[in-house]
Amino acid sequence: MQKLVVVALNSLLTAGLYATMSYGLAVIYGVMRIINLAHAGLMMLAAYATFALNDRFALDPFLSLLVVAPAFFLLGMALYATVIRWLPRSSAGPSMQSLLLLFGLWLVLQNLAYAIWGGDTQSILTPYTMSSVEFFGGRFGVPQILVFAVSILSLVGLNVVLRRTYLGKAIRAVTQNRDAAMLSGVNAGWIAAVAFGIGTAFAAMGGSMLSTLYAFTPDFGRSFLLKAFCIIVLGGMESFTGVAVGALVLSFIENFASAYTSIPVSFQDAISFTLLVVVLVAAPGGLPGLWRMLDRRAVAR
Amino acid sequence: MSRFASIAVFLVVLLGLPARAQEIKIGAVLPVTGKESKIGGAYKQATELAVKEANDAGGVQVGGKKMKVNLTLLDDTSDAAKSAQLVEQLITQDKVHAILGGYGSHLVQAQSVVPDRYGVPYLSGGAGATAIFGRSKWVFGTLSPVEHLALTQMQFLDDLVKQGKLKTPLTIALVTENTEHGNDYAKGVNEFVKSHPGYKVAIAEKFELNTTDYHPLLQRVAEAKTDLFLADSHLEDFIAMHRTYTQMGLHHLMLTHGARGSDTAARKALGPATDYIFASGWWSDLLPYPQVKEFNVRYKKETGVEPQWYHAMAYETTRALLTAISKAGSLDPEKIRAALASLRMERSIVPGQVLYFTKTGQSDLPFVVTQNKPGGKVDLVWPKEDATGPAVAPIPRS
Repeated sequence: MQKLVVVALNSLLTAGLYATMSYGLAVIYGVMRIINLAHAGLMMLAAYATFALNDRFALDPFLSLLVVAPAFFLLGMALYATVIRWLPRSSAGPSMQSLLLLFGLWLVLQNLAYAIWGGDTQSILTPYTMSSVEFFGGRFGVPQILVFAVSILSLVGLNVVLRRTYLGKAIRAVTQNRDAAMLSGVNAGWIAAVAFGIGTAFAAMGGSMLSTLYAFTPDFGRSFLLKAFCIIVLGGMESFTGVAVGALVLSFIENFASAYTSIPVSFQDAISFTLLVVVLVAAPGGLPGLWRMLDRRAVAR
Repeated sequence: MSRFASIAVFLVVLLGLPARAQEIKIGAVLPVTGKESKIGGAYKQATELAVKEANDAGGVQVGGKKMKVNLTLLDDTSDAAKSAQLVEQLITQDKVHAILGGYGSHLVQAQSVVPDRYGVPYLSGGAGATAIFGRSKWVFGTLSPVEHLALTQMQFLDDLVKQGKLKTPLTIALVTENTEHGNDYAKGVNEFVKSHPGYKVAIAEKFELNTTDYHPLLQRVAEAKTDLFLADSHLEDFIAMHRTYTQMGLHHLMLTHGARGSDTAARKALGPATDYIFASGWWSDLLPYPQVKEFNVRYKKETGVEPQWYHAMAYETTRALLTAISKAGSLDPEKIRAALASLRMERSIVPGQVLYFTKTGQSDLPFVVTQNKPGGKVDLVWPKEDATGPAVAPIPRS
């Protein structure tokens, strides 16, 4: 029983990390139907920004979110204005041009980081980096707990903005039906710019928090990007609550498969990608789509 | 006048020809930018220093003549396909007499198929994977096999048992990255365990590079309750895994991450949590040989950098190639290859002080073992006769 609780709590904490690094992808896909391949590059750049703030001004990585997130929001808006807005619009799905452009942007960011910081492995060590707290017989890292707390706050904050503010309602309207939103007077171009800014700010938050857990180089973020893809597909691509649930499902499957089966731990990634393929084939709408389908069947009966 | 000019040009060309042949053309392809740029850049620096020193001494003695070394060093941007293509370019367009290989097993693996095609001697100082060697008579390497690194670590642990610091039976958690490097390391440990009944691998797990969550892996390690934790990891994975390890409150009698442990980046990232970790390497600046002490001073003076194992191995690899060319007494590829195959470079800075190659073309030199001590100190603890301090075992509980 104790093992069950410890594994469940570990899964929960890991889910917090997974969700935080995936929100940004979902925001941008939802509004613009673009898969932001530069997401990993933005996370890496934010990790370096956090490192620089910690190194130069001894600013705590979690406090640096107050600087990094707004700065990357503006960076995202600037990227939208100069690069993204020229992409051809497609309501069906991500265009080849957008994939190539954002992949190119990722490479530019990577090489920029190599030019500025070189290829040395960097990391941030705070007084609590190696600390843990004990409950239910397990020990849980303080940074993981803080990341989880930020993830919950982000989810709550995002939901408040999306449900209670005009901006949020406009974002949801454009996500659901861009043309109808424009007919209702929503400036879809402006909303797309803000959404790209929010997505970039969330990528930056993910990167800042990852920098408290991992060492990084300019090549950092690739494996997290792949995991984030799995999570947003599981979460239905557009729903933030779906992303949180997707992260939870993936994390629980990974941790429980390792704790209660003899599947080698090195198959962790294989589990994620198998799940991705299964969901794409069996339930292209992700978990929310599956839920809606089951609900409709229950009503029909 | 024009006739005079033609004769002058003819004479210049004629006189110029033998002068060009007096030059040893060495090609090198290294990852100076991209993912492997940190160590690739260090290899470039050390290679250039070794060539500069040879040229400053008047060149390399080849068949009774001193010849200057002309180094053409290209950057493969850490891209394997580009790496192989640049080696080909050096051979076919620049007509180099020999090639110095790159850094990183995957890059060297890609490069190593090219020299065989053209019959050009190739010497790498940046790959320890055994699979690269023994397939072509033209390919040589100065890094000893990774499985011998594991074997050295097991011999070191066995010596601690003999000293009474550890007691058999000892159970092992063997955690290796899912790469050729990791597989070779696991092979070395398993081979030792097979012939030593006091040891048992209780749990053997692999992990992917840049794993996002080490809890599941370390949970299994915790449940196995082993005495020793033997891992083989890249720097980023070592840092992430050891942070989780420390947070989970795990403890083993002895702990290693293969070649990782005393790296400055790791000590900065993990602080006192790296104390007492032991690590093995191809070289250490703590080796007590006079030539190593001279090298440390000279390298620092010339570059401003304290030499690490990668500086030393790149430097010594270049020296080995130039020594073989001198010994061959000719720039004929076959003669240089034969000289490399039979090379015994005495007073070398490598552990054991003699650099040579086995039948497969790969060196088989002793490894050193270092152990981190509190306060950022590092001691060389193996080979015992070269130790700068005693090995602390078991690791004290903090």
